[in-house]
Amino acid sequence: MSEAWSKARSAYEQTPIPEELDFAVASAVRSGNRRRSRRRAIHRSLTAALASCACFVLLVNASPTFAQAVSDVPVLGSLARVFTVKEYTVEDREHLIDVRLPALDLDGNSDLEQRINSEIQTRIDQVLQEAEDRARETKAAFVATGGDPDEFMPIIISVDYEIKCQTNQYLSFIITKTETLASAYSEYYAYNIDLQAGRELTLRDVLGPDYVELANEAVRAGIAQRSQDPDNVYFEPGEGGFTSIDQDQTFYLNQAGNAVVGFEKYEIAPGYMGMQEFEIPLPGAAK
Amino acid sequence: MEQTTHQQLTDYIVAHQEDFYRLAYSYVKNRDAALDVVQESIVKALSKSDSLRKPEFLKTWFYRILLNESMNYYRHNRRLVSLEEEGLPETAAPQGDHAARLDLYAAIDRLDSREQAIIRLRFFQDMKLEDIAQVTGTNLNTVKSRLYKSLRKLRELTGEECSYE
Repeated sequence: MSEAWSKARSAYEQTPIPEELDFAVASAVRSGNRRRSRRRAIHRSLTAALASCACFVLLVNASPTFAQAVSDVPVLGSLARVFTVKEYTVEDREHLIDVRLPALDLDGNSDLEQRINSEIQTRIDQVLQEAEDRARETKAAFVATGGDPDEFMPIIISVDYEIKCQTNQYLSFIITKTETLASAYSEYYAYNIDLQAGRELTLRDVLGPDYVELANEAVRAGIAQRSQDPDNVYFEPGEGGFTSIDQDQTFYLNQAGNAVVGFEKYEIAPGYMGMQEFEIPLPGAAK
Repeated sequence: MEQTTHQQLTDYIVAHQEDFYRLAYSYVKNRDAALDVVQESIVKALSKSDSLRKPEFLKTWFYRILLNESMNYYRHNRRLVSLEEEGLPETAAPQGDHAARLDLYAAIDRLDSREQAIIRLRFFQDMKLEDIAQVTGTNLNTVKSRLYKSLRKLRELTGEECSYE
């Protein structure tokens, strides 16, 4: 090995390793494992669900007792509510697409069910189409500026969903789309359904007529609290920071049934802060 | 079976965390950013570890994720910097002036990010060319021709003979 190389190599090896690395790695391992088990749990239940699908349908139809029993079991009940209609992966030179598309099954309210399902379908189709177009353009630009097509890093697009809240009264789930290009951009769409009233839920329904005030207060309090950590930075209200929630603010209900409003990356804080979410306590429970 | 692959991956990550950090740092040149990149890669790898069918590809698979994350950060960040700051001083290979020539380590940063990857994996991490091809998602011949091109560039930048053997 030439001297220049051994010098370069030792310079490389002398990159100081921060003390936090151990901790950072350990916490990343934990959170990676958590995400994995979530995926697996869903995956496993899906496989099982698929396998038993035919007989499941048959039994529900044939035996009122069985149908009754199934809807009493919370886990099976939830499987009957939101299930994956489409799961596919596309991999080519331009992109890697990974999609799990949910559909809703509301017994007794096929209007709402159809409306939401077709909305999900249209929205995801559109989002995917845009993402694919973008991937193609990016690649064309990359090649046009002298890049070797073989070296283009495929753009990773993934669509997935997560059920946030499921009770007898409410069903809340979000669909996330992540596009990894120069950096990862995630967007999510939330669906909140009042099962008993058979319609979509608004923030107003959850928080009452003062919902804007309540939500703004909770978000401001959340920002103030998180800002105490000097690592957390939010944009000032004057420079594009948080001023008020939107009329059609994205939100979902969490396990506790509280509304959680979300802001996308860059919306109210620098990108490294990622997506920001704030839980809004219900008016009754606030004080 | 899956459990053991996942376990192997976890062990591998923990055992080689410093290598990952160095590689990430060599792109992002910032301690916090490098930590971020390493964390992000680990979370991604572990949460998708079920798509890794063959444990023998574990190493190249993880490096591929790490490299993607590093380059993504690097590209994105470079774009942000160039808007606000004057950009890096132009020091590309002054001809004939020996004192002003770059040393090899600094010269590597002048290569494009794909070339940097090949040089670092080959010479600093002792990775085989076949493995590098897998990490970078190209074929062996592309890796070879890239490597020779990079070495030629490095020779121009440093004025030294950089052939490895």
